[in-house]
Amino acid sequence: MKASGSRLGGRIAVALVTVAGLYCANAESAGFFNLNTGKVWLTNGAVITDGASGGGINPWATIGGMETRDGINATVHYTYANLPSFTLNSVGLLVGLWDRVELSYAWDTGPTGSTYDTVGLLTDTINPLLQKLQPVLSLLSPVQLGYLGQLSQLGQLGNTGIEPFNTQVVMNVVGLKIRVFGDAIYNSDNLIPQVAIGGFYKWNANKELLHTLGASKRKDFEAYISATKIFFPISTLISATGRYTSANQTGLVGFGGPDGNKRTFRGEFSVAYLLNKQTALGAEYAMHSNNLHDITLGDTNVTGLLNLVAAIPVVKQVAGSTVSNLAGTLSQHENDWKDIFFAYAPNKNLTFVFAYAMLGQIVLAPHNNGVYMSVQANF
Amino acid sequence: MKPIRSGLQAFAIGVLALAATAPALADKEDFPTAKGTTPTIPGIDSDALAKFGGEEGVHKWVEALFYYIMLDNRINWIFERFGNPKRQIELNTQLETMVLGGPAKYQGASMSAAHSDLHITLTQFNAVVEAAYNACERVNTPYHVCNQLIAALAPFERVIVTR
Ligand code: HEM
Repeated sequence: MKASGSRLGGRIAVALVTVAGLYCANAESAGFFNLNTGKVWLTNGAVITDGASGGGINPWATIGGMETRDGINATVHYTYANLPSFTLNSVGLLVGLWDRVELSYAWDTGPTGSTYDTVGLLTDTINPLLQKLQPVLSLLSPVQLGYLGQLSQLGQLGNTGIEPFNTQVVMNVVGLKIRVFGDAIYNSDNLIPQVAIGGFYKWNANKELLHTLGASKRKDFEAYISATKIFFPISTLISATGRYTSANQTGLVGFGGPDGNKRTFRGEFSVAYLLNKQTALGAEYAMHSNNLHDITLGDTNVTGLLNLVAAIPVVKQVAGSTVSNLAGTLSQHENDWKDIFFAYAPNKNLTFVFAYAMLGQIVLAPHNNGVYMSVQANF
Repeated sequence: MKPIRSGLQAFAIGVLALAATAPALADKEDFPTAKGTTPTIPGIDSDALAKFGGEEGVHKWVEALFYYIMLDNRINWIFERFGNPKRQIELNTQLETMVLGGPAKYQGASMSAAHSDLHITLTQFNAVVEAAYNACERVNTPYHVCNQLIAALAPFERVIVTR
């Protein structure tokens, strides 16, 4: 199964490179490397944190940069998302070639868990619990005592700090997108959308965090196909993307995990209402995985251990549901991502995006809803 | 893997089918085709012409359009060299009134006949679109009303842009 997955990946990669090569050859002979700024306002889309042209989180079939088919252009972006337990900074460069090919790079980084002291919570719960269990230890079997022994070791973690959680996410993303056919703007008399295929290769630098959270891979590729269309009579843009991926939180916490390793197609949908030629108001929805569940510190599966301890009858009697609650708090449930955004282009060289992002649980901390700001400059 | 593979295949076939119809559409059409409004999806608002200020309002808009076109160094030279402002303003008023739902009395050449010799690029076409939006602002036609006209003229791009 794995082999056929990577064979498919290989085939997609070969196809992408061949098509890109064809267009390069084509353009070179026509001498088309002129800087061009001929796109109509906002039709370059914005730049997502994966570095490609799109909304705020979903890639679109649009090609970034202000160029038309008559030239090339480039965009730099900086995005800052301030969420309760996660701060994301994304910087990147995108090159648009003949409104046909888009090459992109993004560097996404930021601290996690700044307000969420997970290990503190763990030690605060474990040490009083062990104290309470002291009088009833004789009722426990050797195996159950073994669990408590492991637990007491976790209780000592307090002075090692909260490293595995209050840590830095670092992800690099390179992207390639090719417009296959269609025109998002001028086909107002038919339903044919602009369609693009693309791929990302993402690699994550924080091995320790990925180990703690149980991600099975640090690096992986994603492939996607997007269809985007503007309906001028109702001044509305609609975009849908199928992304073939195994990413956890777009790859910010790796790829795959105990609850799933396979890449699958996930839907991503965007709608934007054009308030005027420079301003759009929109919403996005992106399906995410639920590959990760338990957390691991060192060699200990903390969530699993807590579940085992919580199931001991004596522990239930002494501590009620404290331990199972803690196990619940220390397990991961990835949520689909949502956002509403406001994009404003004061001129053709500049786009600002203000969004409210609703990203759910990230690195154990729930309800990561917060403000997202992005500035993008075109050449 | 199997459902994904067959899903992918279905998607690929769908995409190819759509792709095959796209050039066919572009080739066989010339504009204006049927006399009357452009059959956009969804259709343009029935009160679009009224909101434009009727034929008189469209005429004012076309004058503003040519004002902005002649200010734009990317395209004004084309109109200076090959155009005929008086005739073009009159014919454009007829055409735009018609595609917005007014009486069908456009008397000019087809869009391909009028533009094919000009080797117009998409960059130049987009410049005219920008002038169209500026003209709407100039005559205080709201953006969403303006988009009814943009929708109605958009398919002309396939025959006007020839480079
Ligand atoms: C949707 C967009 C456009 C529409 C609706 C349109 C409409 C028209 C009309 C009605 C005429 C008069 C035809 C006739 O004389 O019988 C015309 C002529 C002309 N158009 Fe356009 N046009 C468009 C785009 C453009 C663009 C992008 C350019 C150049 C950048 C352009 C340049 C010209 C010129 C130079 C003529 C005069 C040709 C001649 O008299 O031989 N047009 N156009």
